[in-house]
Amino acid sequence: MITKTRRAAAIVIVGVAALMCLPPRAIVRGARNGAITGRVELRRVPAPVERRPNVADLGTPAASIDLSDRLTSVVYLDSAPRGAFEQVETPRAVMDQRGERFVPHVLAITTGTIVDFPNSDRIYHNVFSLSKTRQFDLGRYAAGHSKPVRFDRAGVVRVFCDIHSHMNAFILVFSHPFFSLTDNEGRYRLDNVPPGTYNVIAWNEGISSEARPVVVPDGGVAELDFMLR
Amino acid sequence: MKLVRRAALFAVLALGHSVPARAQALPSEPIAFADGRVTIGGDVSVSAGSEDTGFFNYTDYEHSALRLFHADLTTSIGMGGHFSLLGELSTENGDHPEAYALYLRIRPWIDRPFDIQAGRVPPTFGAFGRHVYSTDNPLIGYPLAYQYLTSLRADALPLNADELLSMRGRGWLSQFSLGNREPAAGLPLATAFRWDTGVQVHAAGAIVDATAAVTAGTVSNPLFKDDNSGRQIAGRVSVHPIAGLLLGASAARGPFVSSTAARGAVGDGHDGEFTQTALGGDVEYSHAYYLVRAEAVFSEWKVPAVGAPVINTPLRALGTYVEGRYKILPGLYVAGRVDHLGFNDVTGSLGPQTWDAPVTRIEIGAGYSIQRNLLLKVSCQRNTRDGGRVTRSTLGAVQLQFWL
Repeated sequence: MITKTRRAAAIVIVGVAALMCLPPRAIVRGARNGAITGRVELRRVPAPVERRPNVADLGTPAASIDLSDRLTSVVYLDSAPRGAFEQVETPRAVMDQRGERFVPHVLAITTGTIVDFPNSDRIYHNVFSLSKTRQFDLGRYAAGHSKPVRFDRAGVVRVFCDIHSHMNAFILVFSHPFFSLTDNEGRYRLDNVPPGTYNVIAWNEGISSEARPVVVPDGGVAELDFMLR
Repeated sequence: MKLVRRAALFAVLALGHSVPARAQALPSEPIAFADGRVTIGGDVSVSAGSEDTGFFNYTDYEHSALRLFHADLTTSIGMGGHFSLLGELSTENGDHPEAYALYLRIRPWIDRPFDIQAGRVPPTFGAFGRHVYSTDNPLIGYPLAYQYLTSLRADALPLNADELLSMRGRGWLSQFSLGNREPAAGLPLATAFRWDTGVQVHAAGAIVDATAAVTAGTVSNPLFKDDNSGRQIAGRVSVHPIAGLLLGASAARGPFVSSTAARGAVGDGHDGEFTQTALGGDVEYSHAYYLVRAEAVFSEWKVPAVGAPVINTPLRALGTYVEGRYKILPGLYVAGRVDHLGFNDVTGSLGPQTWDAPVTRIEIGAGYSIQRNLLLKVSCQRNTRDGGRVTRSTLGAVQLQFWL
């Protein structure tokens, strides 16, 4: 009797555990995908990274600041629906080095993506990252050359130049494709989201919002705005 | 203990600057406000190493580069497109902070790379003196030409060749009978630890850069306020024909002996005659994971011939070094430098001898970036000197560097 009770309890526990491991939403089979749209408002525009005041310079360094980059936020699903991880071919992306800046300043990719780092300046650059998600150092190379890096782990990668300390960028690596970069007005749109309930997060320059729940209706559009900083 | 407490306090203040949470734990960017017009950066480094009983690594400030707490704050204040004010306040071993740099930069034409800098300006001469980005010095020791203290002084002069030769290998505390008779540190060939005061003009082109300056001191003895009747004129031309290659040539000339010392030796009106002339050549090449630099600094000092046996030739010195750095992993590099400092002969009562003791240094080391702007270095150096109390010395050191 005790054995039967224990077995039943074990089945229940395993069943509950299995259910908990599933994505926290109900996905209706055969339903049409929807979308999540909205706006990320920044209370304060993050200041661009200024050059270190290098008093040893013999003259004025070249100007290289573009404020619009700092307005770019990334909105993403905290965890994605099943089946969202299938990738047919290796995606590629580009992060250029131009005018002593990384362009774009924020890049969002899926795991397995190869990012090319071309140098479009006349001077040397040396792209590197010491982030735990992906450590690499591409060494110094001149204009017209490019080196690739493959990102296999999800997480945030901070990218720097070893020669120009003011050059920095973010690469956000996701294990699913449900992310979107905002435009200059902070608007975003996550398409092809299966109907269901999701937690959504907004990110800007290293700051993340709380995960906020949203229900995506069958073939419909859910709206969700964020306020950051 | 007091030094350690000060270092810890400074580190806490520097690291305690409030920044948003990032992928890295420590702040890594300069502090900017007033719409980016005011930018503040800083460097903190703590070095601990062997006791340098031969004074091979002593600097202008009479501190050993291997046992040093250094902290500085640098500021840039932009005032419209044409003017900016730049300054650096630094302290070593908790000493009273000094204005290492303070100058006004004027750009007469916004769209032309031509600048005028006035005040306590960066060195025109040579290459090493402007390597301030923390990783620019891959080792803990400095090149001999920019750090090693010769026995020569600007405020005191030897009576004769014998007195000069008696100070061979004692540049950390030399003493002469003309001028200031108190023992004090001598001069390096060109110092990396003090900047001169004057006016500097700089023009940059696609391939060639040129700089010229008129300053109060000389490359071996930069001054805030002139102590003789002459000015130094310095110039530098650098060429970068391809990415990664830089070739530079520098020259400087100016009176280096103080009026008081010159008066004590040969009477009034002669201080402009005792000049330092410096010539320099440097090359830097980098590609992929390696960086190689070589530099030669030649210096000639004219000193008065007073008593017998007279110093009948200008005092000359030549410092040369080759250094390299190779990155073996992300955040980890190895480096090495071979360095020599030689001197010409002066004839004393016992015959000709180099006026100071030649020095050779071989230093190897490694650096590991705990995070981008937190660097741990270790190095080991072997010094040999043809004179002085200590002629051979093997020294080790560890350094932790933080910058923003």
